[in-house]
Amino acid sequence: MKNIQEQEIDFAGETLVLTNQRALYWPAENTIILSDLHVGKAAHFRKSGIALPQQVATRDMERLQKLINHYQPHKVLITGDLLHAGMNSEVALLKDIIQENDTCEFLLVKGNHDRLSDRKFEELGIRILADGYAIGNIHFTHGDRQFSAGMHNISGHLHPGIHVAVGRKSTMRFPCFVVSETQLILPAFSLFSGLDTSCVPEGAYCYAIYEDGLFAVSC
Amino acid sequence: MSISIKKSSQTDGYAIITRWMAEKGNQPFSFQDKTWAAYASGKSGMVVAPTGFGKTFSVFLAVLQDFMNQPEKYRVGLKLIWVTPIRSLAKDLARAMQEAINEIGLDWVVDVRNGDTDVKRKQQQSKQMPDILLVTPESLHLLLAQKARDKFFKSLRCVAIDEWHELLGTKRGVMIELALAYLRHHYGKLRIWGITATIGNLDQALEVLIPAPLKGVKIVATEKKKIDIQPVYPEEVEVLPWAGHMGSKLVEQVVPIILASKSTILFTNTRGQSEMWYQLLLEAYPDFAGQIALHHGSIDGAIREWIEDALSEGKLKAVVSTSSLDLGVDFKPVDTVIQIGSSKGVARFMQRAGRSGHSPFEVSKIYVVPTHSLELIEVAALKEAVKNNTIESRDPMVQTFDVLVQFLVTIALGGGFRPAEMMATMKDTHAFSYLTEEEWSWCLFFITRGGQIGANYEEFHKVVENDDGLMVVPKRRIAMLHRMNLGVIVSEAMMRVRFTSGGYVGMIEEYFISKLKAGDKFILAGRVLELVRIKEMTTYVRLSSGKAITPSWLGGRLPLSSNLSHFLRQKLARSVHPSAKEQELRFLHPLFARQQSFSHIPAEDEFLVELIVTKEGYHLFMYPFEGRLIHEVMAALMAYRISRFSPISFSMAMNDYGFELFSDTEIKLSEDQLQSILSAENLMEDVLYSINSTEMAKRKFRDIAVIAGMVVQTFPGAQKNNKSLQSSSGIIFQVLEDHDPQNLLLRQAYTEVFNQQLEEPRLQSAFKRINNSKIIFRFATGFTPLSFPIKVDSMRQSLSSEDLATRIRRMQESGSRPGKRR
Repeated sequence: MKNIQEQEIDFAGETLVLTNQRALYWPAENTIILSDLHVGKAAHFRKSGIALPQQVATRDMERLQKLINHYQPHKVLITGDLLHAGMNSEVALLKDIIQENDTCEFLLVKGNHDRLSDRKFEELGIRILADGYAIGNIHFTHGDRQFSAGMHNISGHLHPGIHVAVGRKSTMRFPCFVVSETQLILPAFSLFSGLDTSCVPEGAYCYAIYEDGLFAVSC
Repeated sequence: MSISIKKSSQTDGYAIITRWMAEKGNQPFSFQDKTWAAYASGKSGMVVAPTGFGKTFSVFLAVLQDFMNQPEKYRVGLKLIWVTPIRSLAKDLARAMQEAINEIGLDWVVDVRNGDTDVKRKQQQSKQMPDILLVTPESLHLLLAQKARDKFFKSLRCVAIDEWHELLGTKRGVMIELALAYLRHHYGKLRIWGITATIGNLDQALEVLIPAPLKGVKIVATEKKKIDIQPVYPEEVEVLPWAGHMGSKLVEQVVPIILASKSTILFTNTRGQSEMWYQLLLEAYPDFAGQIALHHGSIDGAIREWIEDALSEGKLKAVVSTSSLDLGVDFKPVDTVIQIGSSKGVARFMQRAGRSGHSPFEVSKIYVVPTHSLELIEVAALKEAVKNNTIESRDPMVQTFDVLVQFLVTIALGGGFRPAEMMATMKDTHAFSYLTEEEWSWCLFFITRGGQIGANYEEFHKVVENDDGLMVVPKRRIAMLHRMNLGVIVSEAMMRVRFTSGGYVGMIEEYFISKLKAGDKFILAGRVLELVRIKEMTTYVRLSSGKAITPSWLGGRLPLSSNLSHFLRQKLARSVHPSAKEQELRFLHPLFARQQSFSHIPAEDEFLVELIVTKEGYHLFMYPFEGRLIHEVMAALMAYRISRFSPISFSMAMNDYGFELFSDTEIKLSEDQLQSILSAENLMEDVLYSINSTEMAKRKFRDIAVIAGMVVQTFPGAQKNNKSLQSSSGIIFQVLEDHDPQNLLLRQAYTEVFNQQLEEPRLQSAFKRINNSKIIFRFATGFTPLSFPIKVDSMRQSLSSEDLATRIRRMQESGSRPGKRR
């Protein structure tokens, strides 16, 4: 990870900082918010006989640690799909991070992949929040169920991406934040994840992410 | 040889077979006699003969004769494996073989086993193998992945590889090499027979099939198929040819050809083109409705099968097809073949021509419909190439580690292997004859531990050594995944297309559909379809009408072969003074006259460069005639070398004849500078600077990752979708680049870029030729006949030596906008 580039936005009357590291920072709450880490995915693949290097997992964990070093947050809030497939050797990497950053609280709104019991998560040092948990007037939810209308939501689940025209005939895909009046969809934090380019609603703003920054694209 | 023919012709087997043939009014060709004699004396070999001369029967009847002469040497069970490259061949071939066996009065059973065979049938076969089994390379490997393989192959006497030229030069060809080596080592003295059409490197083809120290005989039929090539001339010559635009005007002339024939196949080069021509024919002659059909890879298999049957029965007046009908058993009623556009290669052209005129001495007639007037020169070049029998070579692939690791898991699955013995077996193939100890250990490590030595791969237990020292696959789930993903044909992610009211239309690439939204219309299988919704890898559509998009399928455009490009340059050079016989060149005279007066027509020892200044800007054209792929590389190289004189940015376009560099700022280039940028010195170094080889390797890695089992393919309609195992090869490529650069599969991706994309040898020889040519540098203020088709070619791309960040900045400055759709 070379750098952390930022883009400030207003959402639900709050100032939020989007970063090109697929996470957002909420200065007023001193909280990092991210989603879809899919920890243990590479190990799950290896169990099925698909050879993947360890670095697939360590890269993500290194990025998380660098974000924590940079912002020194009180809280890290994850909106679901923290673990890809239950307990396996790579979850130990996450546990290390949680233990090394003992001044920081790790919070999780469970996603469809987080099938472990709440107790197991607590043993890892993670506090489970109810789906729809709110700080101020922002609600946190994984995003695999219907949102309650009229509320401000931050969610993940979809792994949003966007096609952007570069040059006359070619387009490229980028992971992105999707921001509308009431809804903010986070990109998948894990670099080892696919993109859904069909989930961006009409009229939303996308902040596309690349290695050296972010840029806004209106839809 | 003549002595052994005499000997074999005195046997009972020979007498029975020839009597049966005589009853049908046939007598053996001399190459069949030779094959039978060679087979009788225990030899392996390869039969080279044109289509329609009974090359199948040369090998098949040899086996029957050998059995009749010494039945005591044959045991119960599978005696002959017959490999065909495509499934649709197998069914009809099996029928023909069974018929012959029954008429001759033997009790052998012929059966087919491939992806179309139902499970019950396969189980019956596993219990009791037929005497002859027709398989594809993939289904042969699947048999080797079965625990009962020793039982299947114990009586095996011969493996025949049909259409070997189709497999050679591909990873499927390597699959055959590996399977043959394994069968040879484990099931005794096998005879191996290849059957092939003529290609440029027949001796090598034989050597790959039957590698030294084994010996094989090459038996070449002296009979020749006569081909009559008829260009379809437009009414007048367009002196500024526009790529692809002329073809549709010629439909009026194509209709009478179809009407005058019993049954016609129209070959196109892309699926898009076939969809277009199907529509054009219906519009030009509405009575064709119900009499013509469309056949390509995206059309539902059942419909394709119906079309093939209808064609055999003479029920169809014409079929518009892509290469999907290149191979296949003969469709007897087909008496005319029409090629739309250039076939881009001599071998493919002859193969397609051979689909008409089936009895051995009938002339194959093929009409060529040019899609722009310059393609008429290609017709002249093709005639010359066919006359000289100059046919392309198929270069065999070597060191394809993805195929090797897949095969090792396959063998581990079917009862295991011992590493030392297995390595010796693998080294006995042409593909891996240079396999080193290090490479072998890497492959073993990859399947047992998952990757780089020293890394922590606790969970990975794909292949493990059991107590008997055998490498085996212990987990059922891994075994299942491997069987499902076995093979080397990696297709784009495909989606099924269905009507909302029910009924299946065909398949379409996911990336095409992902750019459409509900209500958009597209053309597939000759119908205008409106997208209704996408759900679970299925696209639901309803029938519609009006304007619609034809999907442009990737990879549909084949580049010109180097054989053909040689003849093309020759014909162009002769175009100023064509002989009376060269009608195509005479017809194009107005075009050549204009080229000559505005610029120049390059002689064989000349290389033409044109600098054309228009209102738009500066266009630099070069004409190497080396095919689109090579031109892509050359254009990037030229741009790079010119920008070393002074910074300048270009957009580029290319076709099979040449390429264009376009800039809105002046291209300053002296004669000396031109000489120097065309120099062959530091060629590959400069090429590597000028292209993004990492991006190219990443694309190649996609297939490699799937074949090596690092990415699980999704098959639409597969019972189990392994959703939690979805990943993209791009991510894995990046990780390996960063952390495991010596990974053999990663290295292989780069090697494939060099050999296939950059075609290093061809590039080298092109530059050598250019360096030995006189360089002609011409200026013009309007487009010349040679430059115009390049100018309008849609394959234009801007050359980006800039990194992503710069591109995004530039894009933002110009006002960023999303892609076509969200």
